Amino acid sequence: MDLLQLGSHSFSSRLILGTGKFSNAAVMLQAVRASGAQLVTVALRRFNREQAEDDLFGPLSTIEGVTLMPNTSGASTAAEAVRAAHISRELSGSAFIKVEIHPNPQHLMPDPIETFEAARILAKEGFLVMPYITADPVLAKRLEEVGCAAVMPLGSAIGSGQGLANAAMIELIIRESSIPVIVDAGLRSPSEAAHAMEMGCGAVLVNSAVAVAGNPPEMAEAFAEAVAAGRKAFRAGLMQKSGSAIATSPLTAFLGATL
Amino acid sequence: MITIELNGQQQPLPTGSTVSDLLSTIGSDGKSVAVLVNQQIIRPENRPTLMLQEGDQVELLIFAGGG
Repeated sequence: MDLLQLGSHSFSSRLILGTGKFSNAAVMLQAVRASGAQLVTVALRRFNREQAEDDLFGPLSTIEGVTLMPNTSGASTAAEAVRAAHISRELSGSAFIKVEIHPNPQHLMPDPIETFEAARILAKEGFLVMPYITADPVLAKRLEEVGCAAVMPLGSAIGSGQGLANAAMIELIIRESSIPVIVDAGLRSPSEAAHAMEMGCGAVLVNSAVAVAGNPPEMAEAFAEAVAAGRKAFRAGLMQKSGSAIATSPLTAFLGATL
Repeated sequence: MITIELNGQQQPLPTGSTVSDLLSTIGSDGKSVAVLVNQQIIRPENRPTLMLQEGDQVELLIFAGGG
């Protein structure tokens, strides 16, 4: 069976779903179910007794086969991310942690230096570290060397819907990487997710594209189908590109000779 | 009475209140809440016995939506 391997965990779904920006928790839960995602991201925030329905731990833990992957969103340094990871592990009981350190709210680009440092510390502590990074093959390799379970280069800026703007760099990362490469952020349409999978990505992580779609559960299903199709195509082996036409039908000129 | 700082806001509590008492006061079963007292994580098994002190900084954190 074709499984996504992350540390000692394996998953049959290669679509990871984020839970932010949904209009309400019920729609989010429907989308998670429709997506078939087995890894779902969540974020830490302060408890607010007026908004108790924001607590997603209970509802998400009722969906069978779903593992939570908390993120360290809000951290702007490695130390803050490590701290968020420790708190998250207390809550989730899961060793998965998406290291996400973006100090600048204008572009939300990940800080490579702090991310590397946090990943190094957390991997040593036994976390399954999934760092959100810019599409940098050198950084990706360094993160693999310190024991990350996967690397998650961004397709384009978080929530931008600009798709696979970094496709060439992501291909380089895939070529060099021995751990799964997961495109995280920027995807807008299922076809982009299929493209990422055809390139050889291990999985894709989608949030906004589903959460703010006209019909989030349907879009979640569409992404699941696209990810599965892209993966199947990758495994089947895409044809080589050619600079010129290569005929698919015989070109022997028998018609001219006999008519 | 003592006053603690709960998620950045002043919260009066009866003297001798434990972390579990605080959770009941605010209507939380504590199952899906991470508790930090003065930046230390307080595990569920220690909450019934840990007594809060005047001026303690308590953070209660939950999982919310995020990508």
